[in-house]
Amino acid sequence: MKNRVVGVDISVKRTTMAIVDVRGNIIAKEKFATNDYSNANEYVAALSEKIIMLTEANGGYDKIRSIGMSAPSANYLTGCIENAANLPWKGVIPLAAMLRDMMGMAVALANDAHVAALGEYTYGVAHGMQNFAVITLGHGIGSCLFSDGQVHIGAEGFAGEVGHICVEHEGRQCGCGRRGCLEAYCAHNGIIRTAEELLAESDKDSLMRSLPEITPRTIVDCCEKGDELAIEVYRQTGVRLGIAIAGLASLMDPEAIIFTAGISNAGKWLFDPAYDAFERHVFHNIKGHVKFLRSSLERELDVLGASALAWGIKEYSLFK
Amino acid sequence: MLGTSIKTKVLGVDIGCERTLFAVVDVRGNILAKDEIRMDTVPGVNEFVSVLCERMQSLVDEHGGYENIRSLGISAPSGNYMTGNIENSGNLPWKGQIPLAAMMRDRLGLAVCVANDAHARAMGEWTYGCAHGMKDFIFLMLGYGLGSCLFSNGHVHLGANGFAGEIGHCCVYAHGRQCSCGSLGCLESYCASRGVIQTAQELMDENTCPSLMRGVENLTPEMITDFCEQGDELAIEVYRKTGFILGIGMANYASVINPEAIIIGGGIAGAGHWLIDPANESFEQHVFHNISNKVKIIPSVLSDEERNVLGASALAWDVKEYSLFK
Repeated sequence: MKNRVVGVDISVKRTTMAIVDVRGNIIAKEKFATNDYSNANEYVAALSEKIIMLTEANGGYDKIRSIGMSAPSANYLTGCIENAANLPWKGVIPLAAMLRDMMGMAVALANDAHVAALGEYTYGVAHGMQNFAVITLGHGIGSCLFSDGQVHIGAEGFAGEVGHICVEHEGRQCGCGRRGCLEAYCAHNGIIRTAEELLAESDKDSLMRSLPEITPRTIVDCCEKGDELAIEVYRQTGVRLGIAIAGLASLMDPEAIIFTAGISNAGKWLFDPAYDAFERHVFHNIKGHVKFLRSSLERELDVLGASALAWGIKEYSLFK
Repeated sequence: MLGTSIKTKVLGVDIGCERTLFAVVDVRGNILAKDEIRMDTVPGVNEFVSVLCERMQSLVDEHGGYENIRSLGISAPSGNYMTGNIENSGNLPWKGQIPLAAMMRDRLGLAVCVANDAHARAMGEWTYGCAHGMKDFIFLMLGYGLGSCLFSNGHVHLGANGFAGEIGHCCVYAHGRQCSCGSLGCLESYCASRGVIQTAQELMDENTCPSLMRGVENLTPEMITDFCEQGDELAIEVYRKTGFILGIGMANYASVINPEAIIIGGGIAGAGHWLIDPANESFEQHVFHNISNKVKIIPSVLSDEERNVLGASALAWDVKEYSLFK
């Protein structure tokens, strides 16, 4: 039996690939820069060559059952990357089909939140849960919902855009073209903007004023030192996030909400006010029943999730 | 042994605050017989169950007999499909946890399932109505309250404890109106009956322009719809505002779920285009761009009477058959 899969995580900066066995042990892992390849064809050619080299050096290509890939704006139903705002390849890229042609084996593709949810479900904190949501808090905000042990994909595969629910009518301009999206307040750039606005409005002293660069991470550093304005930045962010997640929970009645990606490192500064606002706004039947959890896999989540995705598709191989 | 017949009928029961409808329904959704009980004639839940069982028994005896009945589906406000209980209903006279499915099963010796009204009606639309053939859709129940049911990949999404679908209690305005659930700014406090009336009241207080709504005692959403038909501008504005807020709520829901359609049923949906047109416009304005212009917003096609018992009967087919009378 083929007892290994390859998990590939494509992010804007780098691509990570790993050989993973049935129990989620990472046998070998390698990285390369995604933006070295401005053309998707060249990228797929390089990726398949690297996968073959990695597998041949670690137990052989014939042990590999299938490949799972995580990419921004990927659509599981079509196997395509669709209009990714941040990747160098524009339009609709049929990445799963391209890689399958090169590799001669089954390839599945899904977006990062979907893959993160599968990773948590298979190897992480969501193991054994039937209904939960994973929220990715980073440069954007994405989500994936598990309904009765299955990923809720939606009619066209676009489900989970919690970052683009409207939290403020006529609010901040969002990158998607609309106004007042959650992402414009609670993702990376939104938090920086909140900090800048607070600094401009107030003449209070703040450690943030002397920062060479304001980033969500440096704001957390200021919080740790007791900076009131920095704490206020995350308090406001947390309240907005909590209200939006309460809406999601009222709709979905999940067992847990699991947070992953960069912004979730803000820890209590973000999640204490968020949970507080959540409990105030969630429907009373659900109050006190929903756990807020941090991802337990963090660094390995993406490739492990991608490997879980690989097990979920039908085996197909030109090399029997 | 080659079986030649199955039990071909189910009972559907729709419990409302004013009356309970029940009907014998066949496989294809034909209502063979129906009857109703006025709720004010049966004060306690035990009496209700006794009367309901008795009346159903006689209805069934007149129409094909008990041995043809497969199971019983009940739609009730605050019904929980997972437990079979009515849980802390705000609008029914019975308080706390009522184990309705168990009570009915004991008396009838048949499989019984209970679900809330949005769930039952979504099943009705899916089995016999405009959601037939859809895998991912949302049914909105817009009436006295605002509930919903979500179909995910061909099954009802119930959630961990069976409470999923509370769209009425999603926050649309952070420091908005006080909702009866205790929170502030819930969608229900703007778009369900009381919310619509409050909006009308606020608009009348803010403006001085004449309106047919002024001076009307016990204003209802239906009356406001009538005034819209007569060209009353303030009445039209009431539904425009309501539709706008409903559109935001639906867009947020749709961005997360990516449904094929949102089907709107319930009393307030009777406002028709006065509500749906502004709701649709606001929906397209707020939904994520990948799915804008892809989600159909449709008023429910089943008539109110039909939908109530048909939904409950569709539920009945969903439970495992069990009978003391083999």
